[in-house]
Amino acid sequence: MSSKKHEHTKDPSAHKLDRRGFLKGAATGAAALAVSPASKAQEPSAYRASFTAPTYQQMQRDAGLVEPPAPDGRTVIRPGSDLMVQALKDMGIEFVASNNGSSFEGIQESIANYGSPPNHRPEFITALHEESSVDMANGYAKAEGKPMAVMLHGTLGIQHASMSIYQAYNSGTPMLLIVGRDVGFIQAHTADDMAAMCRSFTKWDAQPTTLPECIDTLHEAYRQAVTPPTGPTMVVIDIELQKEEAQDFNLPQFRPTAIEGLDTATAKTIAEKLLNASNPRLETGMFRTPEGIEAAVQLAELIGASTSTTSTAGPMGFPQRHPLCGPGARSNYDYVLGLEASSPDLSLRRPIVNSITSQRDVMGIGFGSLREDYVPTPPGSEPTPLAQSQRQPQGTVLEIDAQTSIPVIIAELSRLITPAKQREIAQRKTRHTRANRENFLATLRAAVEEKKKGWDLSPVSTARIYAELWPLIMNEDWCLASPSNFSGAHHRELWEHNKPYSFLGTQGAAGMGYGPGASAGAALAARSRGRFVVNVQPDGDLNYAPGALWTAVHHELPMLTVMHNNRAWHQEYMFIQYLAGVRGRGTDRGHIGCVLRDPFIDYSKMAQAYGMDSEGPIEDPALLAAALGRGVESVKTGKPYLIDVVTQPR
Amino acid sequence: MKTLLTSVIGLLIGFNAPAVTAQQETTIGDANVGAQLYYDHGCYACHGYSGYGRVDLNNTGSPWLVNEEIFRAFLRARANVAPVLPSTSMPNYPANALSDKGVSDIFAYIRSLPDNQPDSADIPALRTILESAEKREYKP
Repeated sequence: MSSKKHEHTKDPSAHKLDRRGFLKGAATGAAALAVSPASKAQEPSAYRASFTAPTYQQMQRDAGLVEPPAPDGRTVIRPGSDLMVQALKDMGIEFVASNNGSSFEGIQESIANYGSPPNHRPEFITALHEESSVDMANGYAKAEGKPMAVMLHGTLGIQHASMSIYQAYNSGTPMLLIVGRDVGFIQAHTADDMAAMCRSFTKWDAQPTTLPECIDTLHEAYRQAVTPPTGPTMVVIDIELQKEEAQDFNLPQFRPTAIEGLDTATAKTIAEKLLNASNPRLETGMFRTPEGIEAAVQLAELIGASTSTTSTAGPMGFPQRHPLCGPGARSNYDYVLGLEASSPDLSLRRPIVNSITSQRDVMGIGFGSLREDYVPTPPGSEPTPLAQSQRQPQGTVLEIDAQTSIPVIIAELSRLITPAKQREIAQRKTRHTRANRENFLATLRAAVEEKKKGWDLSPVSTARIYAELWPLIMNEDWCLASPSNFSGAHHRELWEHNKPYSFLGTQGAAGMGYGPGASAGAALAARSRGRFVVNVQPDGDLNYAPGALWTAVHHELPMLTVMHNNRAWHQEYMFIQYLAGVRGRGTDRGHIGCVLRDPFIDYSKMAQAYGMDSEGPIEDPALLAAALGRGVESVKTGKPYLIDVVTQPR
Repeated sequence: MKTLLTSVIGLLIGFNAPAVTAQQETTIGDANVGAQLYYDHGCYACHGYSGYGRVDLNNTGSPWLVNEEIFRAFLRARANVAPVLPSTSMPNYPANALSDKGVSDIFAYIRSLPDNQPDSADIPALRTILESAEKREYKP
């Protein structure tokens, strides 16, 4: 049942996998199901479907005016859906987010009533829109490095959710999507092959036909989701399977996936290169789970290597204030090891390197090449993807999981390292520690001078939001869950990103509507872990799916939302202005279709309508710090809070 | 053509012009009218409502803001199908889209924008950020 694309060999050349290969692999994975004894892959429909309109009786049932028929008129003692929920428990699924639907009512009822206590691991999370439920799973997985589940109602639920699934796929976020299928109900709500609608942006899918197959596919969907390259997987489950009597079916034990790492011979080669280098460098990207970061820290400390981080650009990155994080004392790196880095040679292309030679030894491990490269952000500028012409990674890249490989390298290092080498490494670490600290503080001082511009002016500068917020949360266990690209990303320079979940990064596909759901998902993870979630929320983005605010209130999620209310879809406004200018027609009508004025939207009242405590709109910057303080205190008591701040555009 | 030539010369001068501070140049424009034009034409989109934004206008030493003539040339020289200046994200403004008077008014408004850069030591939040970063040691 497993996809061929994950069958790595010991031959480094066999580890090459580009984005196209990933997509092709996904198709292979789906195709493999066709011959799987445990599930039935769905062939594309050979005919053009013709749907009939719902009958009067069907509409009556959909409206709750008719009782749904009991399966075969029997009393079910041990429903199949209880076993499905038990499978979710066995896999450690904490939450199932959903906007409810009759096609998965069996599973929903089992979550509510099965287990002791019921509705606990997994807990049913009520979403007001499928897009929000998938965004919640996205935010949760980015924060925790593991999937939660989402239930979708047939064709309608999939289509509502599709944009968020697309974003999750682009982020490589693992999640388990369960789609209810009810063939006997409204025809337009079902299809022969429902997963086909988003097969090009899910990693794996299946449609089991029996209860044993269903349990197997749930297990496999989880394994596929967390096996790198990670991503969303989908299982379509018929309502009859959920409702059928399981009798004495013995639930199989869940077997976690075994993710392959480097072989010892290759690990030894890398260990020798690290030991022989006079100035080794680790170029790190996004690890799968927090354990990957711990392993990377251990490796950096063992070898005394200066290390890069992506923690200011997304989750699961190397801790920013670790003493070895930074350019180090010297930038003449003679051996660079990439660990899930988008390009392992990034350190050799950055401006901090004053001499670049093609003789540098560069090697990478992981699937980071499937992600965007980002150049370092100078104070006052926005993060920008590297130009395509610059994206020609140098060196050898082994497409195999770095997180699993690092301990193998460490084992070889521990075997090879000598006392003399350890003394040399200790001296190097001291030099790097001093240099990195000076570099961080110099960057921070420059940033502070940049961020003070327009400090007292109204509307409030976006930098002031981040600057006023940081002193209030720096001693909390915080998580910035919202993307920050539209609000200036000022946290990148002003805050310290030391936890796997410090910053959860961008939307995935730059799609709007992501922020509220993703922040609520991160707050789900935070609720039982004593964390504090910050959502700097663009106004345009909130209006796509504001119902996530209600979910945050309903489930008592620790989430502080600070509006970046520039009263526009501002990026598009600038695009239209530019085009109007190119055409020589002036920019005075560029606002048409781009601004949110006449009337202004009152986000404080919007939050209150969803039951969330709130205040604003705040236009006077002098009022901001106190409002943020009230928000922080509210969230610390378990009550989400929204502050509407009218801001400068960027 | 003469106007364009003058503009280009002005721009070339502008390229090498030293940074100037606000209020150095006089302008015939009306800052109040310019404020409305600045808003109507969406200049704030990139430059902020007060001259601080994605691209700052205040105290940048921009050669395009040395004087009104260069500012006008900057807007106009990019307005042709094949503009004199290289294309950037700054929109083009031909005369039929923004009159000379309008340019003068906007220039006057830009000149009137407040220079709001308080000393960072006087801003409690920024001071706290710096001090805590200097004291803070990394803890896993």
